[in-house]
Amino acid sequence: MSDKPVKFYSSDKAHQKAEKLLNEQFEATSKTLVGKEFDNELAITLKSTKKKSVLKKLFWPSLSTFVIIAAGYEATSFITNLYNQHWLLGSAVGFLGGLIVISGTYSLYKGWRSRTRLKKRQRQQEAISGLLEVSSYGQANSLLAEVSEEIAKTANIDKLQQDYDKRKQQIHNDQELIQIYSSTILKGLDSAAIEVVTKHATEAAAMVALSPLAAVDMALVAWRSSKMIQQLSALYGCPQTALGRFEMTKRVFKNMMLAGASELVADAGVELLGKGLTATISTKAAQGIGVGLLIARMGLQTMHLCRPVPYNSETKPKLSQVRKSVLSKVIGLVKSASSDKSNKQGEKVKQQEALKQHNDYDDS
Amino acid sequence: MAWYHKAKSKAEKLVHRGLDRHVRVAVTGLSGAGKTAFVTSVINQLLHAPVEGHLTFLEPCRERRFKASKLAMHQELHIPKFDYQGCFGSLVDANPIWPSSTRNISQANISCRYKVKDKWLRKVSKDSTLTVEILDYPGEWLLDLPLLRLSFKEWSELCQQYLRRERRQQYASDVVKQLSELQYSEPVDEAEIDKLLSSVANDYRTALYDYRKYNKDFSLALPGRFLLPGELEGSPVLSFFPVISSDILSLDWEQFESQSLLKILERRYNYYQKHIIRPFFEEYFSKVDRQIVLIDTNSILESDYESYLDFKHTIERLLEGFSYGRSNWLKRLFSPSIDKLLIATTKADLVPPDQHASLESFMQKTVAQVKNDIGYEGVDVETMAIASVATSEPVTTEHDGKQLHCVKGLDVESRESVIHYPGKVPSKTLSREEWRKLEIDFSPFAVPCFSPDEPLPHIRMDKVLQFLIGDKFV
Repeated sequence: MSDKPVKFYSSDKAHQKAEKLLNEQFEATSKTLVGKEFDNELAITLKSTKKKSVLKKLFWPSLSTFVIIAAGYEATSFITNLYNQHWLLGSAVGFLGGLIVISGTYSLYKGWRSRTRLKKRQRQQEAISGLLEVSSYGQANSLLAEVSEEIAKTANIDKLQQDYDKRKQQIHNDQELIQIYSSTILKGLDSAAIEVVTKHATEAAAMVALSPLAAVDMALVAWRSSKMIQQLSALYGCPQTALGRFEMTKRVFKNMMLAGASELVADAGVELLGKGLTATISTKAAQGIGVGLLIARMGLQTMHLCRPVPYNSETKPKLSQVRKSVLSKVIGLVKSASSDKSNKQGEKVKQQEALKQHNDYDDS
Repeated sequence: MAWYHKAKSKAEKLVHRGLDRHVRVAVTGLSGAGKTAFVTSVINQLLHAPVEGHLTFLEPCRERRFKASKLAMHQELHIPKFDYQGCFGSLVDANPIWPSSTRNISQANISCRYKVKDKWLRKVSKDSTLTVEILDYPGEWLLDLPLLRLSFKEWSELCQQYLRRERRQQYASDVVKQLSELQYSEPVDEAEIDKLLSSVANDYRTALYDYRKYNKDFSLALPGRFLLPGELEGSPVLSFFPVISSDILSLDWEQFESQSLLKILERRYNYYQKHIIRPFFEEYFSKVDRQIVLIDTNSILESDYESYLDFKHTIERLLEGFSYGRSNWLKRLFSPSIDKLLIATTKADLVPPDQHASLESFMQKTVAQVKNDIGYEGVDVETMAIASVATSEPVTTEHDGKQLHCVKGLDVESRESVIHYPGKVPSKTLSREEWRKLEIDFSPFAVPCFSPDEPLPHIRMDKVLQFLIGDKFV
């Protein structure tokens, strides 16, 4: 390499090479940027720097393998022992053990499937929100069809699908298609989901308000929330089994803690007001409302996780949609309980009076 | 209780009158941009708005709140009615053709009945009516706005510079000669000379009109009413022309007698300013709420670079009318009320749908500077690629082993089915060199046979309506 000045004309190889490189560079940037204007905010995010060490990673797999081997060893020796005593006893227990292994593997497999479904849904969410940012054409259709197919497996959306098919046209670009999809199929699903959330939240609120034991409360919350997550995830086409639901619950709570902080602040005011009101009536009722709202918030987070197209500020479900029915349900319960008492007393008095009148009438 | 019912019904009536809403939408664009087709389509779409699944992006339709609509007579009786039946008729005729073009101002009113969304207003009245007033006027008239600030002398100076340029000499040389031969200082009888004036003015107009026709150039030298006189055809107010000889321009004009030719011309110019331009803008700016400007980007892309520059200049001038929108001197004059402006590139049906984004982007970048200025004045500006009446459908085919998105329509002459790929539409503005290499051809399709009972097919008219009037359905 010399330090002398040099010129490359368009017939030179170096010139052509440089131009080719320039073109490639330009195409690469223009592909991602067609019609796209970046929002300046949120352009920078932290990369996750957390990296678990290999030894730490090995802990859970090695522990579980160890337990499985130990249990298998113990089980075989247990069964051979029984078999030595009597062949019938041994084979019966062996059959039982086999059943446990097969059904366990099956549910593990199912759990793994539901986890992959959730992961797939997250990939779809990312792909769709990516499409919403650039103006592209011809990519959303297949993606949305795939999502619809998944939803159709677990929920009945024929009518919504028809509505969507009627509205979409070939001239619509990806953004428009996604908007139409969101405003037809997903809007219908959203309102159904809100109903599910409301139902479970009010039920849980009523149960906690009526239950006599704190331990029962906890069990109730766990049971109702798990049931709700199952229904919601099935509604959005990524049904979760017991194992998958565990993973999902973990995520829901994580989201509620991290992302939900601002919403918490916004909702807290109204929520506290409601609680304060009812607390004057009964502590137990206030607890019921608290639990109901907790479950409602879990439900909304589950909807966030499962919905293929991310919510925007307009479509986002709000706690206020559920809060009202939770409040009215519990307050209604408290009222009816108290009015029942007074009614009963009142009826007794009336009966006595009637009897008295009757007697008076007889006397005359 | 009779008084109670009376009071109640009176209160309801009052509130109802309060709920009666009007939104005035003005449609403009240079000739050939598709204004008439646009207005026809808007009316047609709104009349079919209650149809299930139609107008997806218009909020009241999506929420199923749109109940019914009908054409109504407008209250500004001095403005001619837009001939919807005639225009729609020519589209659904046995030999369908495009409706004839806008040559004058006209108006159409459509009353839309819808369910009230606002939860407080709903307590008063369940339904409400929105009257959409569509005002169609030639964009050329908008170019007159800068004339308001120029005196006759200043205008003449501008015209002189304009006519001197080389590109226009071929067209203007005759008329320039004619103008320089006139005697400006001698006192003359106005009634006698009127005939001469009108013939010279006519020559002046024709010369510049010819130039404009081939070069798509609009300028101050040719006031808007010269191009499209509307009802002023042949009236003496249009018989004036600029003074272009340098000798006279350098003089002090105070010394001329009031009966001289120069003063007569000046009087007519002032009259034009005061009685033609000003009332139009007074009426226009003070009442219009929403404005849409239609641009035929396709034909700009097809023309050469010089025409592109002229066109860009014209469009910028046209849009400047809105960026003055709220600046001081105009505000004092007319108190404008436009709060939303849509710049739409029409005839998007000639472009395959995957290139709509490029088309819009090209147009947006062409008008970027002036769009920015308008936005600065607090007007909400949006751009879109639309087709008022879609004459094609998108298809995908294979060409040279690659997948190619095309449009399919009817050939203009033979009316047989034809698939067309117009070339790659640039997504940014081009340099002269790039423009030379640009290979593009948007050949128009024939108007297909539409069913008169179905809404006209369109591209993004629902989005246009949502932007222009969607927020009024509260």
